[in-house]
Amino acid sequence: MNPNNLIDYFVSQGVPQESILLILMLPVVATLVAFFRQVVGIKAFGIYTPSIITFAFYAIAQEAGSKGIKYGIAIFISVILAGMGTRYILKKLRMLYLPRVAITLSVVAFVILSILVVGGYFQRTGLAAVSIFPLLIMITIVEKFVAAQIEKGNKTAFILAIETLFISLIIYAIISSRFLTAIILEYPWIVLLTIPFNIFLGKWTGLRMTEYWRFRDVLRKM
Amino acid sequence: MFIILKNRNKLLGMNARNLRFIRPNNPKKAIRIADDKLLSKKILRKGGIPVPKLIAKIRNFEDLDNFNWNKLPNSFALKPTRGFGGEGIIVVYGKKKNRPDAWIKADGSIITIEDFRNHIHNILDGSFSLSGVPDTAFFEERLRLLKLFKPYSFKGIPDIRVIVYNKVPVMAMLRLPTRESGGKANLQQGAVGVGIDLASGVTTTAVQGKKSKIVDTIPNSRLSVSGLRIPFWREILELAVKTQEISGLGFLGADVAIDKERGPVFLEVNARAGLSIQVANQAGLQERMERIEGLKIKTIKRGVNVGMDLFGGEIEEELEDISGQRVIGSIERVKLIGRKEKEVEVEAKIDTGAGWSSIDVELAKQLGFEKTIEAYENLNIKYEDIKDLDKKERWNIFKDIPHIESTVVVHSSHGTTYRPMVKIKIVIDRRVIYSKVTIINRSHLKYPIIIGKRNLGKFLIDVNK
Repeated sequence: MNPNNLIDYFVSQGVPQESILLILMLPVVATLVAFFRQVVGIKAFGIYTPSIITFAFYAIAQEAGSKGIKYGIAIFISVILAGMGTRYILKKLRMLYLPRVAITLSVVAFVILSILVVGGYFQRTGLAAVSIFPLLIMITIVEKFVAAQIEKGNKTAFILAIETLFISLIIYAIISSRFLTAIILEYPWIVLLTIPFNIFLGKWTGLRMTEYWRFRDVLRKM
Repeated sequence: MFIILKNRNKLLGMNARNLRFIRPNNPKKAIRIADDKLLSKKILRKGGIPVPKLIAKIRNFEDLDNFNWNKLPNSFALKPTRGFGGEGIIVVYGKKKNRPDAWIKADGSIITIEDFRNHIHNILDGSFSLSGVPDTAFFEERLRLLKLFKPYSFKGIPDIRVIVYNKVPVMAMLRLPTRESGGKANLQQGAVGVGIDLASGVTTTAVQGKKSKIVDTIPNSRLSVSGLRIPFWREILELAVKTQEISGLGFLGADVAIDKERGPVFLEVNARAGLSIQVANQAGLQERMERIEGLKIKTIKRGVNVGMDLFGGEIEEELEDISGQRVIGSIERVKLIGRKEKEVEVEAKIDTGAGWSSIDVELAKQLGFEKTIEAYENLNIKYEDIKDLDKKERWNIFKDIPHIESTVVVHSSHGTTYRPMVKIKIVIDRRVIYSKVTIINRSHLKYPIIIGKRNLGKFLIDVNK
């Protein structure tokens, strides 16, 4: 069957083209996250968080235009900063994990809400125009952040958050390129190539790029 | 750049560690035991491995509520059972005076029963456990610092990480707690990791902290990190290999500490050994492990021998340690220090056939003995002229020559002569020898100086060097 017709068939069955595209993008995004971990050596919070943040950025950019991405970054950073601030307050209370995360989430929610209001006050309508689901997604990643804080410490958690932001932005840039979108809509099968590529990644035992940096002295002196 | 590409296969990276070494060699069950400090402690103790004594366990909130705080000794360590990276561990050194409910921590601060209760609360919640799952806590004996390590470590107790693969110790590192690490021997938290020569147990190079910064001295001191000889070295390696047998892990990081009274005590087993040890040792793990892959090692002793032989430094280091003598070659670069601290560096022939060392006339001039030589030549005395004089009469002839120490009879192909001797300092392989040397015309010879038997007492000579 002509793949072109396949997409057309899906659309004719009432599946929006946007949905088809995003679903087909998911394997690409996941593969890229895996690539960043195994080959580049950027960790981020697992595979779910960078993927979902990437899509949040994508959704924001869809609504607010590519300039909207700066709002996405601003919100992400606000979430992380609010998460860090809340830890300092909650540290003294010594609470169980879930209630602690719940409080952090509430604080973050209020912070984001006030940012939206303040943004509206200063006529930054683009910020307020960001639709609710990407926002909620961003707010909830604070759980990953709190978990990392507890397990690995504040500094590591912060680094992981920055890495997540970095990876998400790069992957967002890749998947929002016209070129990739066109290719996937034209040849949907191409997405299947991520499987052999991931098999390769899964068997890859070479040094990660960050390890070349980490071990630069040893590599030279050995 | 080229070197980096050439060396990259020697170094062990995260990907290769997980896929090539942890996955095939460390069965899930064994990893589970290793991650559970209490369980691995029990299994190791049964296997005859010395471990810190367990004081008490707290398995749940009920245990915590009913805990009898009075049964704790003055000093102890509190640990989360499934903790990692040294997180969540509290060590106390003594009871606070006049306060039955408070102890003193490593940094001098006070910790009360209330604080402990909160901390154990967090442990039970899983705040410090590997995957955030609920955990248990336990108290154990605090190990006492060995005097030898005292100047090297801040507050806490250093430990020795040994990587064992296929029953062979492949690399080792001494981890020293620092102020930055808060007295914990954990590199991630800022401790110093010092590479160890596997054959001799002598420390080599060192790094500090997560970023693996190379350091030459202990932080905040001028103490060199290298050259420290770790006691019980062979015992420690044997302990590490034995632990591998018991734990069922094919590739592991074994942490051993040395207690002041008990000697080597096993701290913990690590199924996912960190990679910084490579920086501390300036050597690659992958290359070493590939060399022993597939070897059939039957006994612990054999495994330790293989590791020591393959991954230890030069054997001569060992020799030097046994005899206290340094090994030098038959030609050695030496530094001569003459009058008015005049220094000359030359290649010397090490000649065990000669008695005294002798230097060339020109060399003697460079060392500030021009006047001595001039005065001696002016005397122009032949051997035959004075050979029948007695010692004192002979010395009267020479005694006015500046800076002369004595004379000596030299028989050579040119006939027999008296030669002047002067005093100089000779530095051979960093050792300073203060000695008389004869001044002879050696201009027709390859080396301007020979070092004779009298100056070689502190050395062993390796003719292949």
